[in-house]
Amino acid sequence: MRQYLLRRLLSLLPTLIGVTLVVFLMMHFIPGDPVTNMMGEMFSQEDADRLRQELGLDKPILVQYGKWLLLLLRGDWGHSMFTHQPVLTDILYRLPVSLELLVLSTIVSLLIAIPAGTIAAVRPNTWKDYSAMVVAMAGVSIPEFFLGVMLFLLFGLVLGWLPVSGYIPILENPWGNLMHMVLPVIALGMPRAALLTRLVRASLLEVLKMEYVTTARAKGLGERFVILKHALKNALIPTVTVIGLQVGFLIGGAIVIETVFAVPGIGSFGIDAIIKRDYPQVQAFVLVGALIFVLANLVVDLLYVVIDPRIQYNAGER
Amino acid sequence: MRHTLAVRTAPGVAPALKTRSQNLYVITFRQLIRKRTALFGLGLIIVLVLTAILADVMAPYDPIETFVDSLMAPPSAQFPLGTDMLGRDVLSRLIHGTRVSLYVGVFSLVLAIFVGIPLGVVSGFYGGAIDNCIMRVMDIILAFPIFLLAIVIMVILEPNVLNVVIALGIVRIPIYARLVRGSVLATKELQYIEAAQALAVPDPRLLFRHILPNCMAPLIVTSTLSVGTSIIVEASLSFLGLGTQPPTPSWGWDLKSNLLLVEINPWITLFPGLAIFLTVLAFNLFGDGLRDVLDPRLKD
Repeated sequence: MRQYLLRRLLSLLPTLIGVTLVVFLMMHFIPGDPVTNMMGEMFSQEDADRLRQELGLDKPILVQYGKWLLLLLRGDWGHSMFTHQPVLTDILYRLPVSLELLVLSTIVSLLIAIPAGTIAAVRPNTWKDYSAMVVAMAGVSIPEFFLGVMLFLLFGLVLGWLPVSGYIPILENPWGNLMHMVLPVIALGMPRAALLTRLVRASLLEVLKMEYVTTARAKGLGERFVILKHALKNALIPTVTVIGLQVGFLIGGAIVIETVFAVPGIGSFGIDAIIKRDYPQVQAFVLVGALIFVLANLVVDLLYVVIDPRIQYNAGER
Repeated sequence: MRHTLAVRTAPGVAPALKTRSQNLYVITFRQLIRKRTALFGLGLIIVLVLTAILADVMAPYDPIETFVDSLMAPPSAQFPLGTDMLGRDVLSRLIHGTRVSLYVGVFSLVLAIFVGIPLGVVSGFYGGAIDNCIMRVMDIILAFPIFLLAIVIMVILEPNVLNVVIALGIVRIPIYARLVRGSVLATKELQYIEAAQALAVPDPRLLFRHILPNCMAPLIVTSTLSVGTSIIVEASLSFLGLGTQPPTPSWGWDLKSNLLLVEINPWITLFPGLAIFLTVLAFNLFGDGLRDVLDPRLKD
């Protein structure tokens, strides 16, 4: 186990280098010269050259990358081009908001998907199964932002039950925080819930055909016990994999949903930065988004090993 | 941690499909038309494609023509779905919006396939250093969430429809490269390939005639389902203002711009959303049906 953990952590290294390289190069491919942008309307060639030298932009690209990486590690993520605030401060301020949104919507999607998928699998081809599958099909086909807009209309404007925008820090007012998060969390969680419901149903159906389930039934165990204690546990293994694969889509969805509900997380921050063309902020946004993704996949991989003891930790490279 | 695509390519299916490759499509089609939901999806796709092709004929008005005396009009006989804040006919914009969505959905797929498949084939067939090289680059692309990478590409390129196609194509290349690589790895050890090699069949012929056809089932299924996702991503990008730019009619952008006035006229926000939903639903239903028919083992 320890060896596996070590190897998995080591495998992060090339990924992190790749990710930071892409983020770094992105700034180089952006049209326009950063020096010209910073100098404004009037400047002399000498001033421009001096600034270029100060910023290290006259050095070879790999040297620039190395310097940039060192600064990143030291916590210097640059300053906003407009507010001149350190970018890292902004990011750290907004990160908990996005993480709350991501975690809550994953929990909500599981709370819906596991019971719904189980009921559908236990009673296949009944009205319960069909209705779960119809709702799930609709759920995987609806874009998050459209669902968000409809929830916004219904619960915010027509019924007026829930706040439709803004955010209250959880430490300040936990109830208010939760109320503000309900709609974004549902909008983000539902498509995932739909996908996972289909998955739980399919894998539970598969597991229920297996011999050990028959054995458990033959022993005279109650159906509820067989399903909940024996079958579901194995059926949930693919679910964990898919949650991992879905993290990417979840992050994408969160970016849009934060914009719809004006949730002050990393996503709305990034979109704002892109529209303002505040490149240091854009860079930080992309970097953090990718890092969350990489780390979430690491967590899923480790979780996978915990819930499925059959996975061999030492089983070769691939 | 690549337990996903490679596993799902189901090597066992390969020989069975190979021997029937002549009528694979006929068989698939016959089984497919027995599935009502898949047929519904297919029907909807045909209607959408026709709408996109015939948009100029079908739309009652020019999608960017403004009727200044009827801004934000509710649905009426003159404007069946009402007008937006600039007085443009919502129905006409919806009809023309079909073009952008399908164009992005289909052409990003074409780009991903035409780059991804050769990469996967070369990687799986030759292995070694080439394989390593290609797969490490693919890993870097896969290290980004699809939507985030699409945003990165849209920041570098200027936002317009063609660039959305390029962005969505690039982010999908690794999916096809891995899928095909997995299939090739599984197939190339089979005896009939050894036999073909013994007969000195040249590599390209071996690849395209004997190995690649075996990857068709998972490829077709993945492709169909991915059109739906691409359409959602395009709509999301346009919704954020990073995709299709006005005045080109795009469902995502229309939804966003009408959102500001949702309290005055909620209809015009709902229609573009419904259009996206129905289009994605069509591809998902059809893709699901295809998956059940072509490869039950891909089911998840």
